[in-house]
Amino acid sequence: MITDRSVAVLAHGLGGSTDLPIPFTYALIGAAWALTLTFAVVALAWRRPRFDPDKPGRPLPRWVTAVIDAPAARWAAAIGALLFAIWVAFAAFTFPQDARNPLPGVFYVLMWVGLVALSVAVGPVWRAISPVRTVHRLLGERSLGLRYPESVGYWPTVLGLFAFVWLELASPNPRSLGAIKIWLLGYLAVTMAGALCCGGRWCARADPFEVYSVVASRLSALRRNRNGRIAMGNPFNHLPSLPVRPGTVAVLAVLLGSTAFDSFSATQQWRNFVDDHTGSTATATMLRTAGLLVFAGVVAVTFWLAARTTGGVDRQRRLELPGLMAHSLIPIVIGYVFAHYLAFLVERGQQTIISLFGLADTQVHYVLSMHPSVLATIKVGCVVAGHIAGVIAAHDSALRLLPAGHQLTGQLAMMLVMVGYTFTGLYLLFGG
Amino acid sequence: MILTAAAIITAGCGGSNGSDSASGSPSGSQPSSVSPSDMPNDQAPPTRLVIDVTLKGGEVTPTNEQLQAAVKEQIVIRVNSDAADELHVHSTPEHTYKVEAKPMQSFQFTVDVPGKVDVELHQLGKTIATIQVQ
Repeated sequence: MITDRSVAVLAHGLGGSTDLPIPFTYALIGAAWALTLTFAVVALAWRRPRFDPDKPGRPLPRWVTAVIDAPAARWAAAIGALLFAIWVAFAAFTFPQDARNPLPGVFYVLMWVGLVALSVAVGPVWRAISPVRTVHRLLGERSLGLRYPESVGYWPTVLGLFAFVWLELASPNPRSLGAIKIWLLGYLAVTMAGALCCGGRWCARADPFEVYSVVASRLSALRRNRNGRIAMGNPFNHLPSLPVRPGTVAVLAVLLGSTAFDSFSATQQWRNFVDDHTGSTATATMLRTAGLLVFAGVVAVTFWLAARTTGGVDRQRRLELPGLMAHSLIPIVIGYVFAHYLAFLVERGQQTIISLFGLADTQVHYVLSMHPSVLATIKVGCVVAGHIAGVIAAHDSALRLLPAGHQLTGQLAMMLVMVGYTFTGLYLLFGG
Repeated sequence: MILTAAAIITAGCGGSNGSDSASGSPSGSQPSSVSPSDMPNDQAPPTRLVIDVTLKGGEVTPTNEQLQAAVKEQIVIRVNSDAADELHVHSTPEHTYKVEAKPMQSFQFTVDVPGKVDVELHQLGKTIATIQVQ
């Protein structure tokens, strides 16, 4: 029986084992590569900006766009996802209320990690399959017609994302079915109410899953050209098209900071610290909440300061720089998400599908866990590749944004911060 | 990183085996210390990882211990407890054992999928040990 009294520090909010730490040699090799390539990029790479969000991709055949944009296909995807959501809700309430219930798996694996993988592969899918949007569409897209205030930007999403990672990493019992149900009902109520008040714009700005999906999709090779045609192009051209709104940097800081905190909170030192300094569930939760806030805050502040540390720009421009550079954090976030959750996605994903659809005679294939050295190589590869892509994107936008004469010195702080993120990431994956 | 694979012996134990799984091994209090380097996988020597756990007055020892074990190695958890609780082994698949308020209970399992396995007392909400199984 699962009781709500527990202060269990369960990794990822699910039971089961977690990945082994990566070996020391791998961490060293990864760090050396990251450092070398950073300096190579800064010192030797191109001196003129190469990436341009307006550069059209190579268009795919017309029928691809026609099929994807066909109302029938849209409705099929939306209704399919809605039926899936209804089935999950049915399973959540009627399946055994214990560790076998598929709800935590759907919530922490499919919705949180699976959505990122899907968005990187094919684009911002949440917009097409969001159950709230589908219901809203079935209601004829009626809304009170209130205007979504532009100055609020992505801040509701920042709150939503923080609420998610709080439940996963700081709450007293992340796998408690009751807590997940309350979270999801709250999410549905807020998003539905927002859609009914402000229309689809609410979903685009304030639905944490939709914004996360959009953020991840900027790393996708698939995109739309200005004329709406689906095209294949260099993701580096796609990255700078991330919308810059109030809260953009905070969205990325919560994503990166929480992933780092996930590794950190599994270390022996942190667990002992929590045990030694807290006497009750409530204080332990508060301490973990503080830890999570510190991690997200450190990412936000270091990035914000590093983006502004340049000469030759006026006040207004300096204020805009962190937002304009924010897209260069996307590859780091995605690299770290895959390094951290890939085995989780592949293996828990299978387990979740099996228990969701009652495929009793299907076995989970532990393809990654059974080969720890392959998994460790993939993890280091993801962190280093994400880091290098981030450095390249930051370098290119520094050339575009910074005035001549400050282009080299103006990006040094940013490069140092990024190297810092990578070392911290590898150190945490190495096991603290 | 702490590489102490030394199983913790808190009390000189002996006596009958407890409720859940009867481990067929002798009940001598031999410290069994296993690290992957001195345990080749191919020929299974009768090594075990023994974790002695004491639960007394709402306090558990040890907590947050870092241990190592090999895949399919016998892992034995011996519990002396003055309170009922539940022992969760977060391996894949998971194991759950009922802990009763009595001395000398022992629970035995093996882990088949490599990974970091948390052993946790559920009611108390404390992690006893994290076992790196490789």
